[in-house]
Amino acid sequence: MTRPSPFSVRGRRALMVMRDEREIAIVRRQLNRLGMTTAEIDPTEVPSPDEVDVIVLDADSIPIKSDPTTAWRVNAPIIALIGTETPSRLKWLLDLQPASFLIKPLRSAGLYTALVVAFDAAQRRIEEAAHVERLEDRIRSRRVVFAAVLQVMRAHALSEEDAFALIRQTAMRHRTTIEQLSAEIIAAGGMPNRTSRTA
Amino acid sequence: MKRASIPLGLVFSRSGPYAMMAREMEKSALMAVDEVNQSDAFDFTLIPRLRDPGGIVPAYHTACDDLIREDHVEHIVGCYTSASRKQVIPIVERTERLLWHPARYEGFESSDNVIYVGAAPNHTVVPLVKHMLEHIATDVFCAGSNYVWTWETNRVLREIVTSAGGRILAERLLELGEGAVDHIVREIIERKPPAVFNTLVGESSYVFMRALHAASSRAGISIPMLSCSLCEPELKLIGSAASVGCITSSAYFESIEGPENRAFVARWKVRHGAHSNPSVDGQSTYVCVMLLARAIRRAGATEVAAVRRAAANLRYDSPQGPVWVDPDNNHCFLTPRLARSVPGCQFEIFWEADAPERPDPYLSNLDLAAIGAKAATGNETKRSNHLRVVK
Repeated sequence: MTRPSPFSVRGRRALMVMRDEREIAIVRRQLNRLGMTTAEIDPTEVPSPDEVDVIVLDADSIPIKSDPTTAWRVNAPIIALIGTETPSRLKWLLDLQPASFLIKPLRSAGLYTALVVAFDAAQRRIEEAAHVERLEDRIRSRRVVFAAVLQVMRAHALSEEDAFALIRQTAMRHRTTIEQLSAEIIAAGGMPNRTSRTA
Repeated sequence: MKRASIPLGLVFSRSGPYAMMAREMEKSALMAVDEVNQSDAFDFTLIPRLRDPGGIVPAYHTACDDLIREDHVEHIVGCYTSASRKQVIPIVERTERLLWHPARYEGFESSDNVIYVGAAPNHTVVPLVKHMLEHIATDVFCAGSNYVWTWETNRVLREIVTSAGGRILAERLLELGEGAVDHIVREIIERKPPAVFNTLVGESSYVFMRALHAASSRAGISIPMLSCSLCEPELKLIGSAASVGCITSSAYFESIEGPENRAFVARWKVRHGAHSNPSVDGQSTYVCVMLLARAIRRAGATEVAAVRRAAANLRYDSPQGPVWVDPDNNHCFLTPRLARSVPGCQFEIFWEADAPERPDPYLSNLDLAAIGAKAATGNETKRSNHLRVVK
């Protein structure tokens, strides 16, 4: 899988959730210079989750007591525009998990960095989520591996260490995972047929 | 000898949602300008250049842009809300001008191009919550307007209260200007919290205080109320009965003893009428102009860098007592005070700090553990007698 470069922003779609006309003009002009397409909604509206690669959100324009986890649970990375640095506002912002941010007053400089950091952070988030899922799969299958080890210990009168070593070597030889082979051992009620060569 | 003329920008919303307070502030600024101009102690004349953004947030940017381009002002006194100040900061920073900001605010800001003359959170909410914990209750019901002042004030309140083992019983918010308060009043009467912390502003607060007073009287109970923003002109608007008994934190009350304030109040009444009262924000606006005039005199120039240097640590014996700018963060040393509103639309001061307190806009020096420990002693007796029956 090729990793999309966070530096190439041309053609990506930005949704501006802002209210201040001067700030909107600055962000729109800069996004257009970068070859991105823009759409705008008012902060009181809820964005539709698709068709958007990044959201530029004026944090000051949304009441702090509105729940960020419901209205703003979209997959696109969020760039927060921050004017008020009070802890109450920042706590609200943390719940939103912004991928990057810009401090007001806005200038043309800074937005590209914020976009690159946001796209990179979003990509890393996707990769980390996939990594975590793989690890969780392995944790879930530990029970299966343990059951397979017990079965092999009984069937072949082996110690736990030797039984595990046998499963591992067999899995390696057949180019499969320990977890997959363990599932087969349990399904077959012992080492599956293809393991007879090793016995 | 001819006095030099110095244009001074004044940006206050004479119309719009907080026009009442802004008019008080503009009146106070003009009073200070006249006093400077009539005084032999200054060799210049301040020429006020007024702008009215009408309470519209982006209009503050336009107003200041105008003042700087057309009237060539270097100094601007004005703004009331944080939203308006945030509009002005980019332009004063870009053009190297100075905004003198009179109103208290929630903190967490420190621009080189703003002199913050209003109280920082360590001057207002912190002493009020300390007092509540030590003398009234550890559990509190919050009612406030849904904007940054309430959010941040309530956050500080929650941090201090929970570190002292107390609880925020509820946090009910109303949109700015909202007058439908009955559901909150009903909840308070039903739950009878030991204290109500009121961060409602303007009309919402007046309606709320009248309605809660009426409902409490009917129910035969009295629930202590606390505020960090109530001022004398508001007590009048609320009405004499409903406005009594609110424990209020402020750097200024009309009832402050001392020759400077007595003279100030007397001059105020000559100028604005015997029934008119100065307010904390008005007095603070007066202090802005006086600090600026003194800094210009000391600097011998109006240029911002020179005035800012001259203003640093320059003590002014103002109506609210000694005030000076802390050059570390451009906020002011002020004396925090606590008072109780009494009949006659006045405040009776029952506590004040021994000396002006260093401004702490980021609350970096807030010692939660110490406050919690102090509040913990004697809490039990407090819990049992928090509800007083009205005879």
